Amino acid sequence: MKTLALVTRLIRRIPPFEKGGRGGIFLSAQGANPPQSPFFKGGKISKFRSAAATCAIATILQTNAIHAQHVHTPPPSVAPTIGSAAVPFELKTLDGKAAGLETFRGKPLVLNFFASWCDPCREEMPQLNEMAASAAGRYHLFGVAVEDTRAAMTEFVNEAKITFPVALDPNSTVKRRYRIFGPPATFFIDSQGVIRDVVLGPLTAERAKQALKKVGASR
Amino acid sequence: MKILLTRSSVALCCALLTGCSVSSPSVPTNSAARLIDFGPELRFGNNKKNPSTPFLRFSPDARLFVIWTEDHETPWPAGKSHSAHGSKSGDRASSPMRNAVLSWSNDGGKTWSNPKRINDKVEAVQGEENGPKIAFAPNNKAFIVWSIPGGKGDKTRANIRFAMEDGEGGFTPARTLNEVKDAGRFPIIEAMPDGNFIVAWIDRRIDNPKPRQLYLMKLDPRGQSLTKNYQVGQGLCECCKLGINFADGGKTVYMVDREVDDNKIRNHVLRKSIDGGASFAAPVEISNDGWQVPSCPHSGPSIGSDRRGRLHVSWFTQGRAEAEAGIYYSVLKDGGETFAPRTMIHGNTAPETLYNNLVVGNDDTVYFAWTNLDASNRAQVYMRTLAPDGQTWGAIQQISNAKGNASRAALALKGNQLHIAWTEIDGEDSRVVFRSAQVSQ
Repeated sequence: MKTLALVTRLIRRIPPFEKGGRGGIFLSAQGANPPQSPFFKGGKISKFRSAAATCAIATILQTNAIHAQHVHTPPPSVAPTIGSAAVPFELKTLDGKAAGLETFRGKPLVLNFFASWCDPCREEMPQLNEMAASAAGRYHLFGVAVEDTRAAMTEFVNEAKITFPVALDPNSTVKRRYRIFGPPATFFIDSQGVIRDVVLGPLTAERAKQALKKVGASR
Repeated sequence: MKILLTRSSVALCCALLTGCSVSSPSVPTNSAARLIDFGPELRFGNNKKNPSTPFLRFSPDARLFVIWTEDHETPWPAGKSHSAHGSKSGDRASSPMRNAVLSWSNDGGKTWSNPKRINDKVEAVQGEENGPKIAFAPNNKAFIVWSIPGGKGDKTRANIRFAMEDGEGGFTPARTLNEVKDAGRFPIIEAMPDGNFIVAWIDRRIDNPKPRQLYLMKLDPRGQSLTKNYQVGQGLCECCKLGINFADGGKTVYMVDREVDDNKIRNHVLRKSIDGGASFAAPVEISNDGWQVPSCPHSGPSIGSDRRGRLHVSWFTQGRAEAEAGIYYSVLKDGGETFAPRTMIHGNTAPETLYNNLVVGNDDTVYFAWTNLDASNRAQVYMRTLAPDGQTWGAIQQISNAKGNASRAALALKGNQLHIAWTEIDGEDSRVVFRSAQVSQ
């Protein structure tokens, strides 16, 4: 009992995880946040707190998930945010041409994630077609089809009269790098490869206008 | 001093690691529980035709049925031209035409009948979360529903198709169940205890105001329509599966779905009917997750009931922060209207909406299957059990070992036979994988 009381006191001295971090067995890639101030002193982790934290984490792991065979090792993940560099990718368009972030460097890029089975993606497609038609060399527009098949996407491209290049993301690699929970999502990337705006959900004319301005591609 | 403290902390840590294995954790796990011992993987369908989207169900005579979709042989529908985008590469057919295919086993999944095509006409049978579903009449006749894209090829304005075994080794010609065309999606079919069938789907015949409506209709054991289409709910998320369950000999019907409000907050709800599905009370929120997402998440909720009448529900939510994202569980006891606080089954390791399913055993053990990412960022299928005490969780167990991604697991359980099937996709190729296990009941 004395041991338990001591442990309780030790753990109480550890500040809680910061909001946005993850606890217990479910610590994972989501946040990808290094421990922040609670465990740092002048940029160095306090040995005492480090040990106590290790102890606390071990306790949580032990009590909550000792029997879980599968403990996720967080894959490296950098959530692309406004102001950060766009994540490189390499895909093939439906007609077999290689296309990646570098392909479009030098001009702003509107990178749209969509799917043939997605209602709001269909809703925004006229807007994207309009943008493709009026780009006039000011920017590129590129579609990444997520969780879709070649046949279904080809059908959708024909049906929606999509005029901009589209690539399949066969194993969801690019979707995961860009941390897309559900399509549609549109990233506005400037000519230097920096993300200047992100629109989650269907893109409207007004929102597109604002975002194009941010990447220096407005009329 | 710091060193001493550190050492003592480490010592305490070791003591804890030893001690806690026998202590009573706040979320009990069954330390003695063995992992479910699954047999080897089987594959369904013709691998050259990219099988996907399996669904499993036992018939009353204890045969295990599996239904899936695969490419039709015709390379491209007559009269349709390839666009500039349409040049063929990879192994995927360039045609969206796919068939619904069925096979059954009467030896617990060891051997299977020759696959039979269900749809009489070639059509683009939809897959993914929207794949075909099967239910059985008391005389073991299979009733099947699926959806096909609407007239303009729009998957989101689809039609609900139905066929049943014709008693001569084949299937009846498919017919469309939705009276307003190009309006349905995500059909499910369930045999009611009185021998009739309920078909439910997400409907968009009233396309404004959004969002979608929940529509039902009933079929008799001959497959004839007992009712017209009728609306029993609205406010549904547009792109995820429904769940259904019966109690009181079919008088009580429970349905679960994901709702979406004007602010695009998506919580999961239970709808209850006490008149055999003719009408439903106002939906009851399962958990106020506050998941606000303007885009198109899929992976809807699952429901099952046990012998004590408890309703078990699992679902995916991202919650109010990414840290909350994961598969959750709650239970409704005694037919009440308040769900227990949610319990996380497995946290989400990446931006992915996680497909989930559950079945309940005769001993009230709940078996969960879901998709999550492994350490290599590949989607895999996982399982976990909840013991009949409703508190003791089994280990999280990885079931698939996909080279690409594995997802959308279907479960079937009868006695001590547990079966699971899922889709694996690697590049542009897909396959259906199946495994079986004996569980203690």
